[in-house]
Amino acid sequence: MGFLTIKDITYTYQGTSPVVNGVNLAIEKGAFHCLLGKSGCGKTTLLKLASGLLKPDKGCIQLNGKDMAEPSHECGFVFQSPTLLEWKTVMDNVLLPITLRRKLTEEDRAHAAALLEMIGLSAYHNRYPTQLSGGQQSRVALARALIQKPPMLFLDEPFAALDAITREELQEDLLRICQLQNTTVLFITHDISEAVYLSDRVAVMDKGSIIYEEEVNLAKPRTMKMRYGSYFNDLCLTVRQIMSEARL
Amino acid sequence: MKNIRLYSFLLFILLLALWEVRAGNMSELVLPAPSVILHTLIEGLMNGYFTAHIIRTTLEIVLGLTLGSLFGFIIGILMGESEFLRKLLSPYIIASQAVPKLALAPLFILWFGFGMTSKVIITALICFFPLLENTMSSIQYVDKQKLELFRMLKASRWQTLIHLKIPAGLSGILSGLRVAVVLAVVGAVIGEFIGGSEGLGALIIASQGMMDTPLMFASLILLTIIGMVLYQLVNIAEKRWLKLYMKETKK
Repeated sequence: MGFLTIKDITYTYQGTSPVVNGVNLAIEKGAFHCLLGKSGCGKTTLLKLASGLLKPDKGCIQLNGKDMAEPSHECGFVFQSPTLLEWKTVMDNVLLPITLRRKLTEEDRAHAAALLEMIGLSAYHNRYPTQLSGGQQSRVALARALIQKPPMLFLDEPFAALDAITREELQEDLLRICQLQNTTVLFITHDISEAVYLSDRVAVMDKGSIIYEEEVNLAKPRTMKMRYGSYFNDLCLTVRQIMSEARL
Repeated sequence: MKNIRLYSFLLFILLLALWEVRAGNMSELVLPAPSVILHTLIEGLMNGYFTAHIIRTTLEIVLGLTLGSLFGFIIGILMGESEFLRKLLSPYIIASQAVPKLALAPLFILWFGFGMTSKVIITALICFFPLLENTMSSIQYVDKQKLELFRMLKASRWQTLIHLKIPAGLSGILSGLRVAVVLAVVGAVIGEFIGGSEGLGALIIASQGMMDTPLMFASLILLTIIGMVLYQLVNIAEKRWLKLYMKETKK
């Protein structure tokens, strides 16, 4: 039994063949799990099912032993685009999840400030999202997802629109923070090396099913060198071949 | 583009000069010269002849605009939020807009008398629709991912409306208000045309009866100024709001 357990999930949009078809997935507490796949393979739908944004037609999802029928405060979600509220400052954006639940306290502000410090945005508290670069916006979105210290974090290709160097920086930040808070992560991407670098376990999805799963045996914490090691590249190649075969 | 304001002003002067020359050999009854109009305008303002009319018309516009916009905004939100209400009410809303509202003015005067009430109601009715339409569509088409974010955060319907839909739709709502402001002037003036002894619209009708064309032009200028001032006020409000976060993207 994992921390997040997905059992035999099926989901169909009206009148089409199943987008997610009989998927099983279990993620251990504190593990970093990546889901790879081409666009249209159903990975985003699976993530929405897992986070409770969509209700499955069949099967069930359990978080920490409890059934998940709707979104929970125990989960953070980072979307493909930063989805920051343009009319709120960086600080207010990060605090939004708490603002919606209760009155803010000084502690909350201190916590948000610490988070922003951790992702290198401590000088930007009072800026507005449009005044930030794409990478900075993604960082704010990450901080917002983490402000409630969720034990479970879902990320839907959060770094897809960023340049390679910025993406690597953000990957480091993400790994560091998740390690620190012992967050369980389900991360979706179409970038093979990103998946291999980040995760403890990689799964490949195609046509609504998981077709391949593999442990990643890289030392923690990750270092830049690993990206160019032979184990890393071999694993990337294997995954790549599996993804090509899936196309046939 | 730097001197565009200057050119705009020069064009204005040029047009005025052409008008002055052209008016020189025409009857004052048909086309009074700008200098004559200006004289009438200033004299009327100085001796207080216009004051009561200006106050009356402005009051009608502001009251009608406030009333109509408020109702338009509220019903726009209700219709944007509830598909049931949208489907239930939209035929009536469309019908109420298909009726030429200005043609209803005589009826309103019959119902509400020659006083201010009838004009305020005509104005409100005209302002109602642009606000309703813009509010309804602005809050309906909010970025889907942001809506999902709010669902993920378990925000209530009310919170989603206050924290997401209204702020996100505000620039659309304000552009509806801008349209309403201009229409409000039309509403008030038409109301005064049909029945009224006070207000700039009534003054225009009176000046027609007195064959005092400079007075008519002076009233028109005053109406234009009222309209422009209100329009600018909305613009300033919008800039204040957008300035906060649009600074970098506008360039």
